Amino acid sequence: MSNWSEFLDTYQSAIIDATWLTVQVACISFAIAIVVGIIVVSFRVSPIPPLVAFATAFVALFRNTPLIVIMLLGLFGLGDVGLVFEFFPTAVVALGLYSGAYMAEALRAGINAVPQGQAEAGRALGLGFIQLMRYVVIPQSVRTVIAPIGNLWVANFKNTAVASAISVTELTGQSQRMFNDASAGVWRILFIVAGIYLLFLIPTGFVFRALESRYAIKR
Amino acid sequence: MAANVLIEELGPRGKMRVRIGTAAAAVLAILIAAWVYSELDSSGQLASERWTEMFSWSNFRFLREGMWGTLKAAAVAGALSLLFGFVLALMRLSDTTALRIFTVGWVELFRALPLLLMIFAVFFIDIELSGSGGATLGTFWSVVVALVLYNSAVFSEIFRAGVLSLPSGQTEAAQSVGMTYWQTMFTVVLPQAVRRMIPALVAAMATLTKDVSLGFVIGYAEFVRRGRGLRNFTEATNFQALLLVAVGYFIVVWLIAKGADILEKRQATTGKVRSADDPDDDAARGTAIADQIALSSGAG
Repeated sequence: MSNWSEFLDTYQSAIIDATWLTVQVACISFAIAIVVGIIVVSFRVSPIPPLVAFATAFVALFRNTPLIVIMLLGLFGLGDVGLVFEFFPTAVVALGLYSGAYMAEALRAGINAVPQGQAEAGRALGLGFIQLMRYVVIPQSVRTVIAPIGNLWVANFKNTAVASAISVTELTGQSQRMFNDASAGVWRILFIVAGIYLLFLIPTGFVFRALESRYAIKR
Repeated sequence: MAANVLIEELGPRGKMRVRIGTAAAAVLAILIAAWVYSELDSSGQLASERWTEMFSWSNFRFLREGMWGTLKAAAVAGALSLLFGFVLALMRLSDTTALRIFTVGWVELFRALPLLLMIFAVFFIDIELSGSGGATLGTFWSVVVALVLYNSAVFSEIFRAGVLSLPSGQTEAAQSVGMTYWQTMFTVVLPQAVRRMIPALVAAMATLTKDVSLGFVIGYAEFVRRGRGLRNFTEATNFQALLLVAVGYFIVVWLIAKGADILEKRQATTGKVRSADDPDDDAARGTAIADQIALSSGAG
C-alpha cells in the first residue's frame, strides 16, 4: 500500500466511522459531565454536611485517579461483581464522571469568584436564596466559568482517546489498528488522524474565546 | 466556605431543615452501602482469599516494581518537560519572529492531540524507523517521549504566563540601569517568575504522573499493568486488582496535588507572589479567588 488512494480505499469508511464515534463519545460524555458537575457543585455548596462530604470525596477521587483505571474498573471490575455493561456506555459514563468532577470544580470556582459583597448586597435588598442565585450570583459566575468550561471541552474531547483502551474503536483506537498494518504508513495515518483532531478542536477554541470576550465586556 | 457566602446564618426552621436533610442523606448512604455489600457478597468478591493473597511479600515486590516504573517515567518525563518547556517559553518570549511562530505551532499542535495517540505514534514511528532490527526506544522511552512532547507545551505555557504576570516595571527598571535582555531575564524576571509558577508546575506534575498510566496500552510495566498482572497468580479478580491499582495511583497523585495546594496557599497568604493565570489548574484558580477576595475586602 504505497500511495494515498490505496490507503483511502482501504480505510476511508473506517476513519469516518471512528470520527463519528469520537464525536458521539465526546458529546454524550460532556453532557453527562455538565449534569454531574451541576449536581455535585450544588451538593458542595449546600449546608448539609453529608452532601458536602460526598461532593468533596467525589471530586477528589475522580480527579486523582487515572481515567484509564476508572474505565477498566467500570468495565472489568464491575463486570466481575456481576454488573456487566457494554463497552460504549461504560466509556461514556466513565468519561462523563471524570470530566464531571472537573466541571464541579470549575463551577465552584465560578461561584467563589463572585465577590462576597454581591451576595450581601442582594440579601440586603431582601432577595431570597433562589432570587439571589438567579439574579446576582449565577449571571456573574457564568462569565468567569466560560474559559474553564472551554478548556474542559477540549480536554474531554482529547480524553475520548482513552475509550480505545476498552475496545471502543474511536479515532485513536482506529489509528492503533492502522498502525498495526505495517503497509499503511505511520506518517500518513498520523497526518490524517491528527488533522481530524485539530479540525474539531481549533474551531471550538475560537468559539469559546469569542464567547469569553463577548461576555467579558459587559461585566 | 462557599455556603457561608451564599447562605445567611440559619434560623431555627433552617436548622431543622438541615437536620432533616442530614438524616435523609445518612439513611440513603446506609442503604447504598448495604446494596453495595450485598452485590459484592453475592458475587463472591468479599471472600477473604481474594484479598489477603494480594498482599504477600512477593506480590508486594512485584507491585513495587510497577510503582517504581510509574514514578521513574514521571520523574524523567517531568525533568525533560521542565527543560524543554523552559526553552520553548524563552523562544516564544524572544523578539525573533521565526522562533515565536515555531513555538506557537509546537504548543498548539501538541496541546491539541490526545496523549494516548502520541504514545501510539511514538511507539510505532520508532518501530518503523528502526527497520527490521526491532524497536530501539522501547516502551519506557516511548511513554517518556510522548509525555515530554505534550508536557513541554503545557509547561512552556505556565512559564510564559509566569513571566507575563510580572509587572512591566520590573523589566523597565532593569533596562533603565543598563541591563541587557539576558541579564534582565536571568537576574530580575525569572527569579521572581519561577517562584510564582511553582504551584502550577507541581499541579502539572500531578497530572503528568497520572498520565503515565496510559503507558499501559503499549505494554509499559507501570502500576496498572503490574496490578492487573496480579490476576495471573493470585485469587484476585479484576475487581480487587484494579481497586488496588486505583488506590495506588490515587495516593501518589493526590499527594503531589496536595503539595501544589499547600505551596499555593502559602503564596496566597503571604500575598507577595501569585501564580500563573491558567484557568485549567487549581493552583491558579485558587489564586484568582484569593485576588477577588483581596479586591472586594480592600474596596469595602
